[in-house]
Amino acid sequence: MSDLIGYLLTGLGIGAGFALVGSGLVAIYRVTRVVNFAQGAFAVLAAMLTSSLLGAGLPHGVAEVGGVVLGALAGLIVGVIAIGRPGTSPGTSLIVTLGLGVLAYAVEVLIWGDQPRSFPGVSGVAEVGGARLPAHYLLILAVTAPVFLVMAWFFARTDLGRALSACASNRYAAQVVGIDVRRMGLLAFAIGGALGGLAGVLTTPVQQVTFDSDVTLIVNGFAAAVLGGLTRPMVALAGGLLLGVAQTLAAGYGGGAYQMEVALVLMLTVMIIQAARTGPVPETA
Amino acid sequence: MTERTHPGTVPDRPARRRAGRGRRWALAGLALGTLALPPLLPERHLATFVLLLLAATVTVGVSLLMGYAGQVSLGQASFYAIGAYTAGLLAVHGVPPLVGLALAPLIAAAAAVLLGAPLLRLRGHHLAFATLAVQLILLSLLAQADWAGGAIGLQGIPRLSLFGVELREDLGYAYAAWFVLAVAVLIARNVIESRAGRGLRAAAASETAAAASGVAVGRYRLAVFALSAAFAGLAGGVYAFYLGYLAPGSFPVLLSIEYVVMAVVGGLGTIAGPLVGATVIILLVQVLNTLGTQPGMPDYAPSVLSYAVYALVLVICVLFLPRGLVPALRSRVGRVVRP
Repeated sequence: MSDLIGYLLTGLGIGAGFALVGSGLVAIYRVTRVVNFAQGAFAVLAAMLTSSLLGAGLPHGVAEVGGVVLGALAGLIVGVIAIGRPGTSPGTSLIVTLGLGVLAYAVEVLIWGDQPRSFPGVSGVAEVGGARLPAHYLLILAVTAPVFLVMAWFFARTDLGRALSACASNRYAAQVVGIDVRRMGLLAFAIGGALGGLAGVLTTPVQQVTFDSDVTLIVNGFAAAVLGGLTRPMVALAGGLLLGVAQTLAAGYGGGAYQMEVALVLMLTVMIIQAARTGPVPETA
Repeated sequence: MTERTHPGTVPDRPARRRAGRGRRWALAGLALGTLALPPLLPERHLATFVLLLLAATVTVGVSLLMGYAGQVSLGQASFYAIGAYTAGLLAVHGVPPLVGLALAPLIAAAAAVLLGAPLLRLRGHHLAFATLAVQLILLSLLAQADWAGGAIGLQGIPRLSLFGVELREDLGYAYAAWFVLAVAVLIARNVIESRAGRGLRAAAASETAAAASGVAVGRYRLAVFALSAAFAGLAGGVYAFYLGYLAPGSFPVLLSIEYVVMAVVGGLGTIAGPLVGATVIILLVQVLNTLGTQPGMPDYAPSVLSYAVYALVLVICVLFLPRGLVPALRSRVGRVVRP
């Protein structure tokens, strides 16, 4: 029983990382219809910078915020290149973000080398319901929950958030009422970058990060987001948590092997069922 | 190859035929030129030549898939891996190499049909992520499969022997790779000019319209997916015998992305595109690699430079030459020739 609680909490912690990456994808996709392939790179960049800042003697908190800010900046830069040129189709933008994800490899290896990196998070072991697990997992959950609440409030209650949602539901109508759709797209990219960066900063203390960890992050993030058709952040949260728990349960009871397969097969199944239910959808990207 | 008229679209038949004939001569010239090249190359460039031809073979398939069937595959290296492991495992267990090489594309195509049947319902970015997921699953399974060498890899693959002659030198593999590429180009060319090819082009433009006109869209898409997998599998088979060693790490996700870069840079939906794309990218990476390994350069320089090249070439090409190098060059030359 205590094993199960331990696996569940660890799974939720890992899943929160996927959910943050996934909701970043959703934030960008809703507004711009671009699936941002560089989303995993934001997490890696933020984590790498945080480890450097901590190494340089900055206190916890400041270093992590620095990482998230870098993520947002990287998001903005990717956005400018991917959707900055008028008339770039979402399909073209997808390929551009793919290229920028590879470019991030060059930057990361150049600055931080190709060895795995990590930094200490919350130290110590927490005991919950008889299960012992690194206390850092609880911090991940404690940060992720308010972030999603703030996001829900932002998209529903603030002018800026409503403008973003307006672009998401009808681009043309949003333009007609005077919303600068392109600027909203760039803002979405920056938000997505910050969410990706937060995922990297939060999960690195429990999972080392290398320059090519972005592939696992983006695939799991996409898997989380695709449950809600890439447009609903809250479903991405649920999807991410579900994936994380499924993976740790598979790893815990299955002896460590095949945990990635569980997540990927789950994602493939969901996508195939979605496609079968809606029929061949018109190509959007 | 019979030239069929497309009512309403190609009124100028003689010009088209002239262009087709010119292109055929260019292809023949290219074939002869590259046949004469290997003996003249020094040993270390010969290795690049072999890998270039193999990459071009895979890219021909990717270009066919993306340009004609409108599908993005980010997992093409998985079929390369399936072909390589098929040939390698069979050869290690004593099956004659030529049989293994013949089975490599067949097994890869069979895998593509099995995977494609459910996956090709997906479109656009869904399909891109699905193919990426398939490759991650394959790599993870290969790393855990002890019968395939596991994460350490499959060692001791014998060399390729053709009719009792063992290919020991790189030169032999250069010709084997050339032959493989030639087969892929010829098949791709025939497919494009066939009735099925026209159907595919129609389906890539508008699936609904093509289906309404009686094109069996689903079946054609699956066939192209299988064909592109067969090309990758065949190239993978040659690769297995050439290197004599296979590991899951030889087929990273980045390799799949490289094929997409080559196909996009060269120009999708052309025959020359993948050849030009693979050549440009591989030569560029090779030149930078030589620069990066100069004394005095840091040891991370080669990988940084190659990542940067893939990234920048892809981004610049997609944004500023969206149709790729070959169509861009062709229209520029056409403008100069016909004032």
